[in-house]
Amino acid sequence: MKKTVDISLPVGPMHPCFKEPCRIKCETRGEYVLAAEVELGYVKKGIERIMRGRPWQEVMFLAERVCGICSVIHNFVFIESVEHISGIVPTERAAYLRVIVNELDRMQSHLLANYSYCYTIEHETLAMYLLNLRETVMDQLELITGARVTCAFIVPGGVRCDISSDIADELRSALDHIDAELTRFIRIFETGPLIGLRSKGIGILTKDAAIESHAVGPTARASGIDNDQRSTHPTYTALGFSPVIRQEGDNFARIMVRFEEVFQSIRLIRSALEAMREGPIRGGGTIKAGSIRYRGEAPRGELLYELTTDDYGRILEIAIQTPSIPNIQVCAHAMLIDAQSAADITSIFISSDPCIACTER
Amino acid sequence: MSLLQHLKNSVRSRSIHVAYVNVGSCNGCDIEILACLSPRYDIEQYGIYVHNNPREADVLLITGAFSPQWEDKLKPLWDKIPHPKVAVAIGNCPISGCVFNRPETLVDPPVSKHIPIAAEIPGCPPRPTEIISTILSLAPLIFKDYEETIR
Amino acid sequence: MLSIINYIREFLRPHWITTFFTAKTAPLVTPPHFRDFPELTDKECTHCLACMMICPAPEAITVVKREEIWRPEITKGHCIRCGLCIEACPEDVLTSGRILAYKKEEELTLQGTFHIEIDQSKCMGCGNCTVACPVNREIDPALRSSGTSTSDEVIMRVDTGQNKVLHEEKCTGCKTCEESCSNGAIRVARIVEALQGGEK
Repeated sequence: MKKTVDISLPVGPMHPCFKEPCRIKCETRGEYVLAAEVELGYVKKGIERIMRGRPWQEVMFLAERVCGICSVIHNFVFIESVEHISGIVPTERAAYLRVIVNELDRMQSHLLANYSYCYTIEHETLAMYLLNLRETVMDQLELITGARVTCAFIVPGGVRCDISSDIADELRSALDHIDAELTRFIRIFETGPLIGLRSKGIGILTKDAAIESHAVGPTARASGIDNDQRSTHPTYTALGFSPVIRQEGDNFARIMVRFEEVFQSIRLIRSALEAMREGPIRGGGTIKAGSIRYRGEAPRGELLYELTTDDYGRILEIAIQTPSIPNIQVCAHAMLIDAQSAADITSIFISSDPCIACTER
Repeated sequence: MSLLQHLKNSVRSRSIHVAYVNVGSCNGCDIEILACLSPRYDIEQYGIYVHNNPREADVLLITGAFSPQWEDKLKPLWDKIPHPKVAVAIGNCPISGCVFNRPETLVDPPVSKHIPIAAEIPGCPPRPTEIISTILSLAPLIFKDYEETIR
Repeated sequence: MLSIINYIREFLRPHWITTFFTAKTAPLVTPPHFRDFPELTDKECTHCLACMMICPAPEAITVVKREEIWRPEITKGHCIRCGLCIEACPEDVLTSGRILAYKKEEELTLQGTFHIEIDQSKCMGCGNCTVACPVNREIDPALRSSGTSTSDEVIMRVDTGQNKVLHEEKCTGCKTCEESCSNGAIRVARIVEALQGGEK
């Protein structure tokens, strides 16, 4: 019999490049990857089962802890979906504050994703620069909400706290700092010949394959798909949002889409600070019975909450679809195939920004 | 304890290798450990090196509320770490299960049921400053009374 | 070539050179606006249990009587530092970060109403919840360990082998009954509203 597979190469579950436990099983011939499969299940906690029958003020915290990296968007989408059920409209100032905190969270998530990618391709200088820049964003999050990671900022009808003009000024100057620093970092990233060798033309995801496998978020937008749930959100459309799209579909494009989205977030926060007027930040309102499917754009892609509530403000049924599920699958079945080197396995996997905690919940 | 042992211990306590294992956390604590590496906090200046390889680790940082998959994996991993070793529970999850410790949950906290825990850092998640100061205060204690036995 | 120029530009910046030669460690400090574990102020706790009502983490906060004074106690390792108890407390007993300051400044409140639901197919009539309930204990100190009571004023009591809810409106939503129930038969629905600017 002709031997087609040299070795089955397992990567993980504990690997220096991964923040979370997961295992990639690769069938290789030499260094050439023939097939790949992602094995999950190491951090399954059963959050949806715990959520059932609990009031919103508990489910809100559980929803935040679906994913610690993009915690604000889970809070955001969950609260907006129960608001849609009960007909609560957030006050205008609260809607803008939500956008500000959500975009800050997106910035830190994208910077973290690009840090992991730079670390994986062994460009540690740029990785550390990005991680240091992320601390600036975290400081702003901490200043506004009081916590670095799980902020618990959004409640039905409004937000937890207001920002004063001092905080707004500090936020503006921090944004200027991030803008200037990131422009330099992108110059290093774009022109680096070694980065180009490890990134350009590696892990290509064609537009057809992306549509076929329902890729979402920056992974899909780097392959030329116009798919961003923010363009249908009323507050974002009022701020003049347009998605970032690139056509190449390789590792380089995915990282550049994230970099450009950080700039876009900076623009959105600036225009939100401009558009914000004084006013109340909480409108009140209790949760009514009903059911809904509601989508939002997480840093990694489209996030879907499907839930049923009862008249006492409790969540009866809940299902969450997180963006990492399609992205990990498309990574294993389209991007990792035909990778020319085993060293590219981790970098391709990290470039799709997988979040295992999201995927397994 | 011999003089040589004293010397070895004092040298070792200045160079600590850390591995971290995620046994079912929400990522919040993991990225706060990652933030310790950033130039702002710079954990390496204290002689602490995050290696993520259990075979050369001194300190094992545990995050997460012990999901069922780790039932047969955490103990072997702990046995692979050479002596002297300590485990530090980071965040609420390994201590109490945090918000996941409810009826119908899949997790099985606390982690101290499975391996011995030397220190606990409460918080959901703890700040990087809290993580660093705990490891720093623990570092001299790991090696203080350690004596090598000839096998 | 462009890359090398970029690197040279990067390392010739005055900011880079000064930080490289005068590298200093940032002190390990916690900023004052950080939402740390709630701490007690000198205000008096009135045992209204609003903090226990709002707390999203199991067993994180309990209101206990020590030396004849009621006061909330935080269990580290359970508390997730969300700060909701500080916002819910009507007497400003707890404080953390700048939550108490903005709560006063913007008149933010969290108000709750409650609905007790007992699954009679699961309830064994053991009376654990009735005895554990702190409000019940205050109304009728002679409450028996079986959960039966002669008083009509209690929130709930065991009557002919089944737990009956009498006065739902007296419930403070502290969840003690939920935690003491061995069958998970009793559930307290806490309908919380986030309000601004006084009573609505």
